Amino acid sequence: MLEKMAKYSNAEEWADIVPIPQDDGPGQPLAAIAYSDDYVEAMSYLRAVMANNEMSERALHLTEDIIRMNPAHYTVWLYRSRILFATSSSLPAEITWLNTIALKYQKNYQIWHHRHTIVDALNSCTGEQDFLSQMFELDMKNYHVWSYRQWLVKRFDLWEGKGELEAVESILERDVRNNSAWNHRWYLVFGRGESCFEDKERVRREVDYAKEAIHLAPQNQSPWNYIRGLIRQTKGPAALSLASFKQFASEFASLDDPDNVTSSHALDLLAEILAEREGDAADAAKALDLLAKKYDPIRENYWKYRKSLLVGQGGVKAAA
Amino acid sequence: MAMENTTNSSDSRIEELSDSELPTSEMEQVAMSAEEVSIPSLFTSHPPIKDNLVTITSEMQGETLAELLPYLMEPEGDLNVFGISSLIRKKHTRYLRHMLEGPFPPQFVAADATRPWMLYWALAAMTMLDVDVSEYRERIISTCTPFQNKTGGFGGGHGQFSHIATSYASVLSIVMVGGQEALDLIDRKAMWHWLGQMKQKNGGFSVCEGGEIDIRGAYCSMTIISLLNLPLELPANSPAQVNGDETFLTNLEEWVSSCQTYEGGIAGAPNNEAHGAYAFCALACLAIIDTPSKIIPRCLNMPSLISWLSSQQHAPDSGFAGRTNKLVDGCYSHWVGGCWPIISAALSSSSQPQTDLWSREGLIRFILCCCQQQKQGGLRDKPSKNPDSYHSCYVLAGLSTAQHYFGFQDQESFSVVRASAGFGWSITGRADVICDEDDWVKPVHPLFVVPFERAVECRKYFEEREGF
Repeated sequence: MLEKMAKYSNAEEWADIVPIPQDDGPGQPLAAIAYSDDYVEAMSYLRAVMANNEMSERALHLTEDIIRMNPAHYTVWLYRSRILFATSSSLPAEITWLNTIALKYQKNYQIWHHRHTIVDALNSCTGEQDFLSQMFELDMKNYHVWSYRQWLVKRFDLWEGKGELEAVESILERDVRNNSAWNHRWYLVFGRGESCFEDKERVRREVDYAKEAIHLAPQNQSPWNYIRGLIRQTKGPAALSLASFKQFASEFASLDDPDNVTSSHALDLLAEILAEREGDAADAAKALDLLAKKYDPIRENYWKYRKSLLVGQGGVKAAA
Repeated sequence: MAMENTTNSSDSRIEELSDSELPTSEMEQVAMSAEEVSIPSLFTSHPPIKDNLVTITSEMQGETLAELLPYLMEPEGDLNVFGISSLIRKKHTRYLRHMLEGPFPPQFVAADATRPWMLYWALAAMTMLDVDVSEYRERIISTCTPFQNKTGGFGGGHGQFSHIATSYASVLSIVMVGGQEALDLIDRKAMWHWLGQMKQKNGGFSVCEGGEIDIRGAYCSMTIISLLNLPLELPANSPAQVNGDETFLTNLEEWVSSCQTYEGGIAGAPNNEAHGAYAFCALACLAIIDTPSKIIPRCLNMPSLISWLSSQQHAPDSGFAGRTNKLVDGCYSHWVGGCWPIISAALSSSSQPQTDLWSREGLIRFILCCCQQQKQGGLRDKPSKNPDSYHSCYVLAGLSTAQHYFGFQDQESFSVVRASAGFGWSITGRADVICDEDDWVKPVHPLFVVPFERAVECRKYFEEREGF
């Protein structure tokens, strides 16, 4: 036991360092943690080397030791990246080590920011897409991983012909409801600049893709949000009108057949389309009533609000 | 500030029932037997539309519904007159005292870089349960002192780099215990210098030196600047200084705008996926800067934002989810629920009465029936998860939002120059909701998520000071 506790204090390599114990303040600390002896010792040596801003091989090992005990320790990660650069350590080796940690601790900001820092400096994304696929096997909606992937696309110009769109499509084939994948798709297709929204061919391909997905599962909100985003943001020759989706929405939600609505999102879109024309306001109100009473009543207040915005349907007062 | 009329008083209970034909006593007799209270079928039946295609997402949604429905249909523990689980105040308080005081066993080591959060979550939750937390003043001062760095800001513990999130949590913990000695602990001048280092040319804020730039950085920074009444001018060595006339607000609105996604919701950083927690950070950040009805429509597409927020509430699992096609989780009671008062303020004009765009009843049912751990106390994500301080804080904050109306008074004195729009807020009333007197929580400030009077005390204290 004693030997184990004295990993640093008994080591000749560390003999020149005077450890700095944790200052817990003058009183009885709140939210205190009964640390393991190993952690207490490693941390007191960390404080000491950080106080000297030491950039060394041994300090690097110390950070690894602490990260193994507490991977959420952002300070250690930042200090580690500084040491890596200062000592010109092998960055590919760092990535290999990082992979094992990332697979073990999924919900962690630090690991992904560290990866970002290292891969940016490496100036190469070789192997990254494969590793991300491995991460997605554990959780297909991991926010940190998707955010990292978006950075990767921009940093390494992976917009087209680099397997990104294919990767997204393969995830959506497995789960067409994965909204993170839909978001990534949007970024790939439109993230390079406003001119993408004027590209007729591109926009038509995306509309077709979303429509196909809706046919698989009409109550899946993701492709509906995608289409509404397209209607809002496309422009110039590629501009999409709301009205052009009337027939499509009606396939899943028809006011002539109010008992057989197969998608509340279609009904929502239909209401928006009808609201555009003053003459259709009464029908828009019908669609919103259906949502409020039958198909999505938890959002009754929201549907009533939408109704209050209709021209000629009582206006603002109806919202009260 | 109209906060006094919101504390628990039997008078307002009677007021609440005054619409009823029955006198109060009879009403309660009828309602006391749980069998007599019918639960609306909205909260007991499956959604009206279900696709046949099975994927991982639909399987998880199905499992979650199966998990939650029994709690919604046959609520656990003591029931209130509306037939839903009562708020088990005493048990939660005991749980939170333990979570505040510790000490935690060695396996809690993962919290070693987030101890200021452990303080904040537990203290904030306790204030909502109407516990006077000033008894912890000495210990908060003592505990937070080693977190603060001479170069400004607070780290997650002694010897840790300053971080925007742990600075936010430390400052708010100090604000909650209040008093001169506690407030004087904060080195405001050093904080201002350090925040200047976090401010970026693109308008956003980094969370720490060399850290990620995301919307937590923007919200937490503006909260600290506003509460501590820090100058909006940037210190000379800030990386965001280009022409010399930049401030903490330069390009900030544009940066927040760029986080709104095609779905209408808001992401942690541009191009990422819309997420409930980041929606709150964005809206609260903007509302600290200026009058909500001006700044929010100016920066964000309102119809798509409202549509997205609204679509995070489902039935029968009637709490909020954090992203499209993700599961309901108690913490979004605050992150999404807390967006609604800001949205209402953004939509309101003096001529138009405030209307709800969401279901308070749904959120309250979910919180009281599904998020309370009945045996030991504490609040949770959902019944299959253990309670923790984080969920206790944000589930109760969601309850605060569901029970109260908040309003923004556009007053000249709240000037944009000093990022003080947050002080234009007050509690305007109690909502007519399915809560007994004992189920009411003490409201928290809709932007700062601490008691109103503590936020005001802090700001006033630093306004009365000349310079730093």
